[in-house]
Amino acid sequence: MSRALYPLASLEQVEKSPSREDGIPADLEEDLRAYGCKLIHQAGILLKQKQVAVATAQILFQRFWFVTSMKQFGIGDVGMGALYLASKLEECPLRMRDLINVYDLLLQRAAHAPPSGDFRYAPMSYFGNAFYDLKDALVVAEMQVLKRLGFDVHVVLPYGTLVNYMRLLDLTGREDAVSRAWGYLNDALQTPVYALYPVPTIVSAAILLATRHLHIALPSTPPNCWWELFDAEWDDVWSVCGYVMRLYRTRSAEDEERVKGMLTKKDVRRWLEEHGDR
Amino acid sequence: MSHLAESSTPSRKRSRWEQTLDDADEQLLQARESLPPKRRSKSKTQASRLADSSHTPPLPTGPLAKPLVPSARPRHSIYAPPRILYPSFRPARSVYNYERLNQIEEGSYGVVFRARDKQTGDIVALKKLKLDEEKHGFPITALREVNALMACRHENVVNIREVVVGDTLTQVFVVMDFIEHDLKTLITLMPAPFLQSEIKTLMLQLLSAVSHCHYHWILHRDLKTSNLLMNNRGTIKVADFGLARRYGDPVGVGGLTQLVVTLWYRAPEILLGATTYSTAIDIWSVGCIFAELLLKEPLFQAKSELELISMIFKLLGPPTSSSWPDYTTLPLAKSITLPPQQPHGAALRQRFPYLTNAGLDLLSKMLTYDPEQRITAEEAMQHPYFKESPLPKHPDLFGSFPSAAAGEKRRKPFDSPSAPQRLADYKLITEFDLP
Repeated sequence: MSRALYPLASLEQVEKSPSREDGIPADLEEDLRAYGCKLIHQAGILLKQKQVAVATAQILFQRFWFVTSMKQFGIGDVGMGALYLASKLEECPLRMRDLINVYDLLLQRAAHAPPSGDFRYAPMSYFGNAFYDLKDALVVAEMQVLKRLGFDVHVVLPYGTLVNYMRLLDLTGREDAVSRAWGYLNDALQTPVYALYPVPTIVSAAILLATRHLHIALPSTPPNCWWELFDAEWDDVWSVCGYVMRLYRTRSAEDEERVKGMLTKKDVRRWLEEHGDR
Repeated sequence: MSHLAESSTPSRKRSRWEQTLDDADEQLLQARESLPPKRRSKSKTQASRLADSSHTPPLPTGPLAKPLVPSARPRHSIYAPPRILYPSFRPARSVYNYERLNQIEEGSYGVVFRARDKQTGDIVALKKLKLDEEKHGFPITALREVNALMACRHENVVNIREVVVGDTLTQVFVVMDFIEHDLKTLITLMPAPFLQSEIKTLMLQLLSAVSHCHYHWILHRDLKTSNLLMNNRGTIKVADFGLARRYGDPVGVGGLTQLVVTLWYRAPEILLGATTYSTAIDIWSVGCIFAELLLKEPLFQAKSELELISMIFKLLGPPTSSSWPDYTTLPLAKSITLPPQQPHGAALRQRFPYLTNAGLDLLSKMLTYDPEQRITAEEAMQHPYFKESPLPKHPDLFGSFPSAAAGEKRRKPFDSPSAPQRLADYKLITEFDLP
């Protein structure tokens, strides 16, 4: 018997995201998801955490928003909880205080850093309320991620699959292609695709983007299409590519600032009250 | 015909969401051919098989063969199952879907209740996790247990149904199938030990479960008879994955603790302080369980680690440079003085006088000092012991027993008619009868 499959969003969950049901526009949800994942990534780097734990955290974070609205939980807290949980799952647990310190820095920087980049961090006091508030939020967020995902936190990371596919396509000699595809896989962690498509599809999309950008030709005329080798469907691969490329679009300065002010559920609720009539 | 018609439609254009249930069934069929067809009629299945055989030239199967057969509908490899088979995100349900019956046991990890599923009427075991005094969020041990159980689904591993929650965030229950017995209680209570044929069945089941876990990169780390559950249909289920954890290759990345495995079942390399260990530690425990089934009592009933080491050396002889080359490199090896050499295998044979040579060979391969040389679960299942007479007994032929966990009482053994007790009375009567 093979290992149980990892969960993916059902059609119903894709069509009706809880945040959109609460009136949060789709593009805002997308930006907030990406920003929350960036915070997880930054925290992971500052904590010198392993990439497997960071990637797992980002995937759990993306799954969470298919069952919960951003009006109920802030992306800051949930990202912190997801990273804490994923570090346990990948057998490299974090100290709670380290994680909280790092998130406090990131949240303060998001809230107060002027565009000039001149920001000084004021560390929290050791026994201060700020610490205990964040600690409570962390414990609650971890538990909520577990509870709302039904304790099924099985995550499959794409890296091994990419290595296999690159070998099969005889592309391991093209280091530029390999590292580019690897990079697309990591960037895709900021999009919901890991909660929407199986790993072979996502890896195929990363290879497609890498080879197209580097002008490497692969058999692509039916009936000999390389992605069919990996049981990926063209429409899905194309859609994943779309998600990834949309990450790189230039955003207006307004949009950039908008997400920074919406890290907590309070911020989101305030925004909804101000913009609810649209 | 139907198969071809289906395959000629541009399946790539269709969104995977629109696949009908029939489609899913069919693909499930292709992915796991062992499953019997559910929805499709027999003739249809045969027709499609015929179509398959006539249109597919004898090509090597596998993903590479696929593009060469353009007319056939793309088959999914088992590594990339169709999208529709993936489960969706399902929040944990409430514990109020279950009705609590009786408490089964209480351990350091929490309490286990017997309960009834209100919807289906199924009897289940509810394990309440202790979360009240957690300083590190959700305990990593509970996380490992739930994950290991979800990852290791197998006929001989206790089936996890779901995880449910109570009213507050500190109430978490793991829902598992209810199994009537644990092997430990059963062995102590049963009047006669298991038969050889029964032991073989149990060992094969245990080995199959262990090899399944190891295949999925999971070490159990606490195999013992009290963690083996057994139902009334002769099937054992490995339970309590509270110490289980994922291991990697190379083993030991992230550090492994030596505080594992209940003492009596602990492998010598852990006793001697090895910092990396692997699947072999589970096999040592399996060897101890094998011996316990034969003896009807635990093999090494030591009170301390040192006593355990000396008991092991006494039974198996001290390790030599050939039986365990790495012995001297182990951290605690220097602090131990080895007893004098003794004839190889004599003590073991003496302890198990009625075991066949093949059985003794299997036991000694499981209780091999060198973890590198110790038999693997996979190899053990192929051992000649399981192929010699008496053959493993079919699980259905096992007897059933009253379940202590379900609160059932053992029927009192038959009283054989006792000898006349009141000899005096008898005498009296006879005397009285005398004229």
